Amino acid sequence: MSQFKYVSPKTKDEALEILQEKKSNACIIAGCSNVLPNIRDKKIVSKVLVDISDIEELKGIVGEKDKIYIGPLTTITELVNSEVILKEGNVLHQAAEQFADPIVRNSATVGGNLVDASPAADMAVPLLTLDAILKIESVGQKKDVQLRDFFIGPGETILQEDEIITGIEFESSNINKNGCFIKLGLRKAMAIAVASIAVNLEIKENKIAQVRIVMGSVAPTPIRLTATEEFLKDKEVNDELIEKAIDKVREEVNPISDIRASEEYRRYVSGILFKRAFKKLTLAN
Amino acid sequence: MEEYKVELTVNGEKISSLAKPEESLLKFLRRNGFTEVKCGCEKGECGTCTVIINKKTVKSCIMLALQASGKEILTAKGVEKQELGRKLQESFVNTGAIQCGFCTPGIIVTAKNYLDQNPVPDREEIKKAISGNLCRCTGYKKIVDAIYDVAVENQK
Repeated sequence: MSQFKYVSPKTKDEALEILQEKKSNACIIAGCSNVLPNIRDKKIVSKVLVDISDIEELKGIVGEKDKIYIGPLTTITELVNSEVILKEGNVLHQAAEQFADPIVRNSATVGGNLVDASPAADMAVPLLTLDAILKIESVGQKKDVQLRDFFIGPGETILQEDEIITGIEFESSNINKNGCFIKLGLRKAMAIAVASIAVNLEIKENKIAQVRIVMGSVAPTPIRLTATEEFLKDKEVNDELIEKAIDKVREEVNPISDIRASEEYRRYVSGILFKRAFKKLTLAN
Repeated sequence: MEEYKVELTVNGEKISSLAKPEESLLKFLRRNGFTEVKCGCEKGECGTCTVIINKKTVKSCIMLALQASGKEILTAKGVEKQELGRKLQESFVNTGAIQCGFCTPGIIVTAKNYLDQNPVPDREEIKKAISGNLCRCTGYKKIVDAIYDVAVENQK
């Protein structure tokens, strides 16, 4: 029979001590938007529920001169309403606006979305184009991990059982200020992406100085399309280039067929999403 | 079996009860007599369990009862005690925005909280605001009409 316990640490250090003691018996909770359905479906049983939602140190969005810090307990609604994110990481703002629905956005957290590690994760895709860094801590240890090294499979990350994400950071830069996020879903709200894309771009003298392209729902994890990026780098922006890049995108993605879409459709539509995002950014320039 | 004390306020009334850690706020509320909070999907998708906590809408099926301890909750019955809530109810009735009625409490809670903070929305904004509440009967048009009519009244 399933037996749960509940603790509600008030500080980060308290939480880390509990994790060190309880290890895999602990289940961190905050917004609970994924955890409760999983408990109901018996995917999570007999754990110590470690409620970190009251820990103030893990909240807040801080914009400094050269970098932006997001606390892992930041809700999606807070991201939508943040002036700092609107200005410095607009691609993340766009993704937050399309996340789930307005009510769930009040509860769901950025950290939770990353740790849940869906291949479709709507916070992971834009944070990857922003080249974000995760601050991860356990008792007595702090480390920085590139977000692009964080995901290892569907629902799997490198986070150890005694660790929590204590911060998400990205640089204040020209490329980070210039991004486009598009999510293709089967409906306009409460949709898990059939395919999603984020593109961040820096253009100098009509040539692509820097580009980052990330897609969700087309591989076991959200992925950077590094081969397509390499192809585009230093090239002049024109329609012919875009058409060639579309082919590269379609080669690089690795989708599967599931209840939402077929592999063939996902592969095809990846090229379309890239075209739309890229055109939106280059027309704006 | 571990149980913990939960003390919270619902529509101004103090409630104190024991709860298991994994019990949702939804089940806790219904168990304590607040059956106007409906149980639909229990996955955070249909919105029939919507309540207001600290001026924010929350789907009570995806929140633990223990997490609501010490907080003030407003349900559909609390919302109808306020003028805007009553106006919305009347508008729903007059517009014909209610068929089976199951989604109605959740939508009125959502609409009331939204209009409190955005008194003069357009129809597109209303549609986005209620996009977390599902209705299987009406096709949504009359629901949007009912909320829009109240917003227009607000302007006068």
